[in-house]
Amino acid sequence: MSENNIEKEIISIISDVSGFEEEEITPDTNLASELEIDSIKAIEITVAIEKKFKISIRDEDVPNITTVKQAVELVNTLLNQDPNVKS
Amino acid sequence: MLKADRDIYDVIIIGAGIGGLVCGCYLAKAGMKVLIAEQHYKPGGYCTSFKRQGFTFDAAAHSLGGYKNGSLGKVFKELGIDKKIEIRQTDPSNIIITPDFKISFWADLDRTIKDIQTVFPEERKNIKVFLNFLFNPDPKHFARMRGQTFKSILDSYFNDNKLRAALSFPMLNGGLPPSKMSAFIGSYILREFILDGGYHPVGSMQALPDALVEIFKESGGELRLSCLVKKIKVKDNNVTGIVLENGEYIPSRYIISNCDAMQTFYELLEKKVVNQDFLTKINNMVPSLSIFVLYLGLDEYFDKLPEPGTNAWFIPHYNIDKLCHSEEEGDFRNGYMIHVSPAPNQKSLLTFAISPFKNKRYWENNKRKWLESFIRIIEKHSIPGLTKHIVYKDAATPYTFYRYTLNYKGSAFGWAGTPSQLAVPDMRKPSFIQNLYLTGHWTTLGTGIPGVMYVGQDTAKMILKKEKIKL
Repeated sequence: MSENNIEKEIISIISDVSGFEEEEITPDTNLASELEIDSIKAIEITVAIEKKFKISIRDEDVPNITTVKQAVELVNTLLNQDPNVKS
Repeated sequence: MLKADRDIYDVIIIGAGIGGLVCGCYLAKAGMKVLIAEQHYKPGGYCTSFKRQGFTFDAAAHSLGGYKNGSLGKVFKELGIDKKIEIRQTDPSNIIITPDFKISFWADLDRTIKDIQTVFPEERKNIKVFLNFLFNPDPKHFARMRGQTFKSILDSYFNDNKLRAALSFPMLNGGLPPSKMSAFIGSYILREFILDGGYHPVGSMQALPDALVEIFKESGGELRLSCLVKKIKVKDNNVTGIVLENGEYIPSRYIISNCDAMQTFYELLEKKVVNQDFLTKINNMVPSLSIFVLYLGLDEYFDKLPEPGTNAWFIPHYNIDKLCHSEEEGDFRNGYMIHVSPAPNQKSLLTFAISPFKNKRYWENNKRKWLESFIRIIEKHSIPGLTKHIVYKDAATPYTFYRYTLNYKGSAFGWAGTPSQLAVPDMRKPSFIQNLYLTGHWTTLGTGIPGVMYVGQDTAKMILKKEKIKL
């Protein structure tokens, strides 16, 4: 999946969870301060991303997802990882 | 255009439990035309009260948490519930009683910390660090707990097994042992229900749904009681309305189900409109356990009773997993919670134990037996001389809770709060049907009154954002 498509999917997930329209969400939008993402919504987003891309995000990486861009980078890294070393 | 002139409802909410009522209040206040349909003759769901022989009993929910700093307090202020009912706090809100020690949870957090430190001096520092973590407002640190169990969190902070057990026991508020409960849900319950708990509406718990109904109606909302919804109608993957028991069809642009998820997806919706993989998935999900509640009316207050309003948790030993396991089998000797009504001169006492659902016939045959054996155990272990003060006694079984609320298997907290059942995709807003939302404790996002208030408010906000309506 191209980075562009990953970004689209992630924006769609964040739009679903936050209630904000996709057009209002850019790669640099801050999830907590601009989209009112609290702890339970951060979990919703994480679980939805894991399900969509069939990956598993490590607990210590969850706090690092503060913008769309960071989420895309993380998903990219996990998708391109050697499957043998996937956590 | 005036609401009354619009020919169809903007939103129909199925179920007038607290989640549905809160959601309805936000939507109606924002100007949407809202109908709430409730099958019971009384609003409130698990948050209702009833009178028997001069005693008033709260049916299930009996105190509130999260009023000072949590989601509940926020909803109270935003909706103006504060102006309708008076809230009082009992101090201490909770007390844990074991064969070796007592721990009280005070309104003053520092006092609570000191109390725990006195009993567990070796854990002095850990207690402070743990409570700081719980009250850390950074949501990201909470979110990283999504895959962990509450037991793993407690194990990582504390060495003393007795302290771990004491902090786990009130987690029966979620109907799960700490080894199965999500760390997120467990921490939420401890923070919102126990550390900021013990609040009561003056009168009885019924005052809360009654106040919400008032606010809802003042904002133009319509409530129909004794109104059972039979079907949610869907056309071209879009909801169109509901069908009632009497066959009446009521169209609406949005439908919000605040009722049990099994009922929503297996009965209310036609099988062909629900994603089959999703049906298989929820068929394999586990509901939380139910509760067995004893309602006792007493002739007088006597010195062995817990303080009115305080939740008194009795733990006979420290193997909490074993304890929860036997609760599943229905054995009261392994711990329970007692609550004397804080209303002046009410003299009513509630006792709670986690219980399996079993079935209707089982409870018809065994309710009395359970009731009497529960009283005997409480008298023996917690309140000597109880029997001679009882002037009224009754109990609610898991089947009673099912009958009044239609919650799947009388489940007390919606889906069990395990890590794998947290924030399940499609459970609050199914992607295969447009304009259908779920709210309340079956969304896998929140439990108890604080939890469903949060979800109810959030569901309303999602719809308002979509409609581009500002509150």
